[in-house]
Amino acid sequence: MTQLATVPTGVPAPTNARPRPTRTGGIDRARQRHGWLFVAPFTLVFITFLIVPLGYAFWMSLHTKTLAAGEHFSGFENYTRAFTDPEFLHGVAFVLRFSLVLIPIQMLVSLAAALVLDNLSSRLSKFSRLMIFVPYAIPVVIGAMMWGFLYSPRFGPIGEIFGMFGIDAPFMLSPDNVFAGLLNVVVWQWAGYYMIIIYAALRGIDTSVYEAARMDGANGWQIALRIKVPMISSALVLIFVFAIIGTLQFFTEPQILRSVAAGSIDASFTPNIYAYTLAFSYSQFNYASAISFALGVVVFIGSYVFLFLSRKRNGLS
Amino acid sequence: MSAPTLTREPGARRRGVTQRRNLGSHTFLVLLVLYFALPLWWLIVASTKNINGLFTGTGGPLWFDSEFDLVANVRQLFSQNGGIYWRWLGNSFLYAIVGGVGATVLSVLAGYGFAKYRFRGRNLYFAVLLGSVMVPLTALVIPTFVLLSDMGLTNTIWAVILPSLLSPFGVYLMRVYAQDAVPDELLDAARVDGAGDFKTFVSVALPLLRPAIVTVLLLSTVATWNNYFLPLAVLSDTKLLPVTVGLGQWQAQSTSGAAGSQLWNLVITGALISIIPLVVSFLSLQKYWQGGLSLGSLK
Amino acid sequence: MKLKTHGGHPNRVMTAALWLGLGAITLSACSGGSDAADGTADPAAGGSDGTCTNTVVNPDAEQVTVWAWYPAFEGVVDLFNNSHDDIQICWSNAGQGNDEYTKFSTTIEAKSGAPDVIMLETEVLPSFIIRDALADLTPYGAADVESSYAPGVWADHSSGDGVYAIPVDGGPMGMLYRADVFEAAGIMTPPTTWDEFAAAAQQLRDSGSTALMTDFPTNGRAFNQALFAQAGSEPYVFGDTDSTEVAIDLNDDGTKKVLNYWYDLIDKGLVGTDDAFTTDYNTKLVDGTYAVYLAAAWGPGYLSGLAGADDTAVWRAAPMPQWDAASPVQVNWGGSAFAVTSQAKNPEAAATVAKEVFGTEEAWKIGIEEGALYPLWKPIAESEYFTALEYPFFGGQKINEDVFLDAAAGYEGFTFSPFQNFAYDQLTEELFAAVQGEKSPEQAADDLQGQVVDYATSQGFTVK
Repeated sequence: MTQLATVPTGVPAPTNARPRPTRTGGIDRARQRHGWLFVAPFTLVFITFLIVPLGYAFWMSLHTKTLAAGEHFSGFENYTRAFTDPEFLHGVAFVLRFSLVLIPIQMLVSLAAALVLDNLSSRLSKFSRLMIFVPYAIPVVIGAMMWGFLYSPRFGPIGEIFGMFGIDAPFMLSPDNVFAGLLNVVVWQWAGYYMIIIYAALRGIDTSVYEAARMDGANGWQIALRIKVPMISSALVLIFVFAIIGTLQFFTEPQILRSVAAGSIDASFTPNIYAYTLAFSYSQFNYASAISFALGVVVFIGSYVFLFLSRKRNGLS
Repeated sequence: MSAPTLTREPGARRRGVTQRRNLGSHTFLVLLVLYFALPLWWLIVASTKNINGLFTGTGGPLWFDSEFDLVANVRQLFSQNGGIYWRWLGNSFLYAIVGGVGATVLSVLAGYGFAKYRFRGRNLYFAVLLGSVMVPLTALVIPTFVLLSDMGLTNTIWAVILPSLLSPFGVYLMRVYAQDAVPDELLDAARVDGAGDFKTFVSVALPLLRPAIVTVLLLSTVATWNNYFLPLAVLSDTKLLPVTVGLGQWQAQSTSGAAGSQLWNLVITGALISIIPLVVSFLSLQKYWQGGLSLGSLK
Repeated sequence: MKLKTHGGHPNRVMTAALWLGLGAITLSACSGGSDAADGTADPAAGGSDGTCTNTVVNPDAEQVTVWAWYPAFEGVVDLFNNSHDDIQICWSNAGQGNDEYTKFSTTIEAKSGAPDVIMLETEVLPSFIIRDALADLTPYGAADVESSYAPGVWADHSSGDGVYAIPVDGGPMGMLYRADVFEAAGIMTPPTTWDEFAAAAQQLRDSGSTALMTDFPTNGRAFNQALFAQAGSEPYVFGDTDSTEVAIDLNDDGTKKVLNYWYDLIDKGLVGTDDAFTTDYNTKLVDGTYAVYLAAAWGPGYLSGLAGADDTAVWRAAPMPQWDAASPVQVNWGGSAFAVTSQAKNPEAAATVAKEVFGTEEAWKIGIEEGALYPLWKPIAESEYFTALEYPFFGGQKINEDVFLDAAAGYEGFTFSPFQNFAYDQLTEELFAAVQGEKSPEQAADDLQGQVVDYATSQGFTVK
């Protein structure tokens, strides 16, 4: 990391190095260093807006400050507190549970939609592809606000919809339903995006593969499950990683929906909400930093375990 | 779900089966479309109502009220706080475009550098890069604010734009893509012809990276457009807010009792209008971005 | 799998965009860097120069930055700027309530970027005072304006010997009710005690009406607290002497009495439990689902902003029901004030703004008529104009004279804790748990007491 500090800043000027043909087939050794020139502009921003703030936040997490007493260095005390804090652990348990249910459902919906769309070329299928994708174009905050309206039994349409079947509308954010209610918001917002990724991967498969399979007597189901799905498995891995990181840091949707369901979405509903509340509502910035890093550790373990298990597919050998 | 069928080359013999199966597929699609479009339908209908129509309207939440007030709502968007809504929308565009293009440029350069050069510290750097996205951004609000404040940039457009230039994920995608899409032999050939590193990059690599560039541009533009909590913390000037934060502010104003004012119709109409530009550009540009979206997975 | 390669010459558009972007980044990076290197002052932070929402009339005068979210505030700012040569307000709306506090908190931690003057709800004052974020206004002539405010109100904005904010608007409580719904159920006079209130709720149900008497929101925060206070709850003693000492009494008999009263009505299905200020709650307020809206003096403004479609609705105002009609207790819900931050460049000028911005009749007429604020500034509150003001929404009733002025006069003040957000969050959780039937109201109050005491201890307070 010491090298980072001496990275030349600014724009990489086009280097006018003399032609130096290589004989070994790769770029020659001296030139490898020019890689830094390409990485430099990003590095500047990366250090300024991620590494330095992270360092600062970490430093904060090693201190303790209370409302009545002053600030003092407390080492890893905040971390031992975090990992024994029932509020934090409860939040972690929730996001883990949520990921375990959300990700498979999301995968199934987007995979099913993509497989169906891949087989059709009707006008309806093109229209559907776009409609399924459209929620991704809606900012998450606005989407969550909208669902807050939609879930209102009296104000939103949910009462009317259930009324058609003669049932009283449930409140989708009551303690019993909040899990499903949030699940629905997230699936609605992101499934189309994942669907498009999978769809694009499916379109990239050489169709002659199917021909061969059909010659061997495979039916549509078999082709889908035995050929298509394995061939796009690296796209699926990508989606998994997206989804794991995103879901463990789950924040925006419940944070916005708290304003209409303060009882079931409490101040420590997810670890990220807990960190946010601690910092900005309770002024416990130091402990909030520790909670954030503790969550970072959880996310790190979660996604690295997954990346490691699937490393053949993700291009990061 | 019905069994997928092979419609790409529908043989005459198979047509009957295909159509029957397509019926199932199409039913499935119609259900999906209903699910994904219903909230939007509600939003469209709701944006044609005034406050009374929203709370005590006659048509129910899923149908139009007796009064059609879309035009009045839009007009009120022009008059409320001196038409600040349109300024918010413009800000969102500015942040999304500058942030999106900037992040893409940095990601393309860095991703290419990571993919095609074996400089010292590369692997460690890349590991740090991937690890850094694990810590939630809420931890960074205070440090980022302090930093921006030291630079004299809080409450300026740069406070939103500069942090959004950072797209570790874009770098990751570009690296994975460039590794395969830009063959070493081509680069070597260019160098043999006497081209410098940057010239080689521009003339050989860039054209090959085009699908990935479009995708990273799309992802980073959407990410900036989505921005909410950072601008919330670093901007205090109403005139600089992006539309997400602005609408959030109006919503807060409507839900707070004391010193509040009821702006529900503006929140809803404003939300509808704010999603139109992105939806339209998605629809009209789909040819360009769809190809690239699977990158990172094509191996 | 092979990738399709797009052969051909370099895409010129792409290259151009690349350079454009790079240029923008270098530019911004440079300007950022140089600013930091020069150590120049930070004109942008806090929303001064050029970032004012209002127009500055006299650009040479001392500028005071103000964050506030009052509706129709721009007119008030213009009045101030037009009448002051030496001081000008530069106002921006940094968000409502929590949005603003988030920003303010950030600036306190960063030690820069706060405005000179900030609008704060009275209930959060102790939370910011304890972080040394607010300036004591005593040296800047706070005493000059003390006589313009009721003693209970003034006490709410003071801590120990210091005065930390100048009061603006308040929330003395009253009862707004649907006279037409009551009448249909044969309730001819509005209830004046809580016993009568419960009886009326039952009568409403027995009459076959589908309406509920009212709502008891578990996220009512200050609303719930005010109801407890009416029964004698004084949950905190804090700030008078040592700011590391706090007394906490959240499970007193008064609180438990109030909780039992409401949970009984909820059990009988006479009262709703919707979260306050959601769209559903609003719908039920205006569609006749709730016959009563227990409101603060700003409530009429909130209500009339929503309703209007239903011409048949007849709203009237009456005093809050009492536990003991012979010795009525008046309570307050909400209200806000202007504080000077400890980052203020010129605290004296800032204090002048805090004292004077809502210190004229013209300013208050805007605040009352366009912002629906309830004035704590006595010259206007006691004026003929305000007492005789007729509200068309209430059929021309003089609601201030009938209800709110008495309520304000009887209010004796309330002490909030320096960790009020935490206490409120716990209150919401406990009330909600009780509504869900997870625990009894008494248990909820006892648990709340335990949690807040633990928290105070962990924050370094000595709990008495």
